[in-house]
Amino acid sequence: MATENISVIKLRDLLLVTVPPDPDDDTISALQEQVLQAMTRQEVRGLVLDISTVQTLDSFFARVVSETVQMVALMGGRTVLAGMRANVAVTATQLGLTVGNAITALDVDRAFDLLNAAPAGEPQP
Amino acid sequence: MNKSHQGELLITSENDIVVARKIVRDAATSLGFSLTDVTRIVTAASELTRNIYHYARSGVVRWRFLNQDSTVGLELVFEDSGPGISDVEQAMQPGYTTGKGLGMGLPGSKRLMDEMKIESVVGKGTTVTVRKWRG
Amino acid sequence: MKKNMSTTTKSPATVLGSEDSFRLLVESVKDYAIVMLDPGGHVVSWNAGAERFKGYRAEEILGNHFSCFYPAEAIKRGLPELELKTAEKEGRFEDEGWRVRKDGKQFWANVIISALRDKDGTLRGYSKVTRDLTERRQAEERIRQQSKEIMELSTPVMQVWRGVVVAPLIGSLDSQRTQQFMERLLNRIVETNSPVALVDIMGVPTIDTQTAQHLIETISAVRLLGAQVVLTGVQPAIAQTLVHLGVDLAGITTRASLAAGLQVALDILHLQVVSKNGTH
Repeated sequence: MATENISVIKLRDLLLVTVPPDPDDDTISALQEQVLQAMTRQEVRGLVLDISTVQTLDSFFARVVSETVQMVALMGGRTVLAGMRANVAVTATQLGLTVGNAITALDVDRAFDLLNAAPAGEPQP
Repeated sequence: MNKSHQGELLITSENDIVVARKIVRDAATSLGFSLTDVTRIVTAASELTRNIYHYARSGVVRWRFLNQDSTVGLELVFEDSGPGISDVEQAMQPGYTTGKGLGMGLPGSKRLMDEMKIESVVGKGTTVTVRKWRG
Repeated sequence: MKKNMSTTTKSPATVLGSEDSFRLLVESVKDYAIVMLDPGGHVVSWNAGAERFKGYRAEEILGNHFSCFYPAEAIKRGLPELELKTAEKEGRFEDEGWRVRKDGKQFWANVIISALRDKDGTLRGYSKVTRDLTERRQAEERIRQQSKEIMELSTPVMQVWRGVVVAPLIGSLDSQRTQQFMERLLNRIVETNSPVALVDIMGVPTIDTQTAQHLIETISAVRLLGAQVVLTGVQPAIAQTLVHLGVDLAGITTRASLAAGLQVALDILHLQVVSKNGTH
């Protein structure tokens, strides 16, 4: 069965993965594989997952993302989930989904800013 | 409207989950549901179709336009001849799973939709019916 | 001069108008479809309104069973027969639903079926009065749409600074309001690309567990987007209630006033700018 192409781009020591609008289960699993492969090949300290065109975020997708975040963390990297759509965020919240320890960002630009910033940048409540 | 008011899709491969999403998205959109409601319906359909594939390997998804009083709605039926659910109440507990660690399909879908009905017989199969009405 | 009013005893038929003129009355009414059915449900009389709503001329439709005006689904469920039975038992049946015209188009109708009995109580047939409510339904639809828009206008989410939106909350949050509030807030955050949202609850007089849970849900959704919420306008009474309710607001920044919240927002944004340019 045809797997849609997930775009994986390496920018210095960061990975940018662009997820297509409605990926099938195989494509989502392939995402995890490709990220892991990229990380074994060279030093990657951060992963940006661009989900700005994704229309459906169900529990399977959320689980794969969550696992990927954990794997990246174990290998010393951080993951940023960028550009979630408003309707997707509302639905995901209602569904009770979490995305593990992924950081979230409004868009890919801000995602890169976050990863390039000094580690402790958030104010305390 | 020229679109048909009902239809069905046979589920035989993992790829049919995404086909189901597309068909349900079309149906919900043509009924005039808001974008967020369309997202809710499609997400619930994704969960429930995946349940069919993972527990029974095959089944059918049926959809139907509803008309009641002065509102319209969409009904989706997910039917399989899989192992069935022995304890429906337990299956509705979030996080409970006997499968591949998903455990969100049923309780999650219930939250996203307006009505849900589960009929299941162990060893024979399961039928999940959900409905959403347009605000 | 007084006019001499002749008083002739008139028979009831002439007082009400002759049968002929009564039939003329019914037949020419255009705003209501007035149809008579025999006890079996077949059309035995047809008026101008019926022709107007349903598209059939009298000679085309007389003798047909009235179920032909119902959509296929309704016929499958036995709705026409059920309606006649109800009218027979209770004297009357009223319903609103879809009916089908001769050209296949559907219209939304209000239908009243009454059982017609003669002096000894024998069922002679049924009268069926139908009103086309399609326009009314469309008007209701428009009103519903407008109320939604009014609701949106009454709780706007405003951008007060580059990167900061303010959403004042007034009253309590039930499920439906939460959904609308969440959608509005999240859409504005995305539209304006604002990493900080100040949700001001000064206008929330009392807070119960449900509202608190819905607030937390909203805050979670905002986080998924990549933004964060600063809860402002938290008054002493609300603070006390939240603590007593055991609501866990860990990780959520809160302030008593909107102004203090805005300061926090600016600090967050400033920090983002500073760290972007490199800081030690």
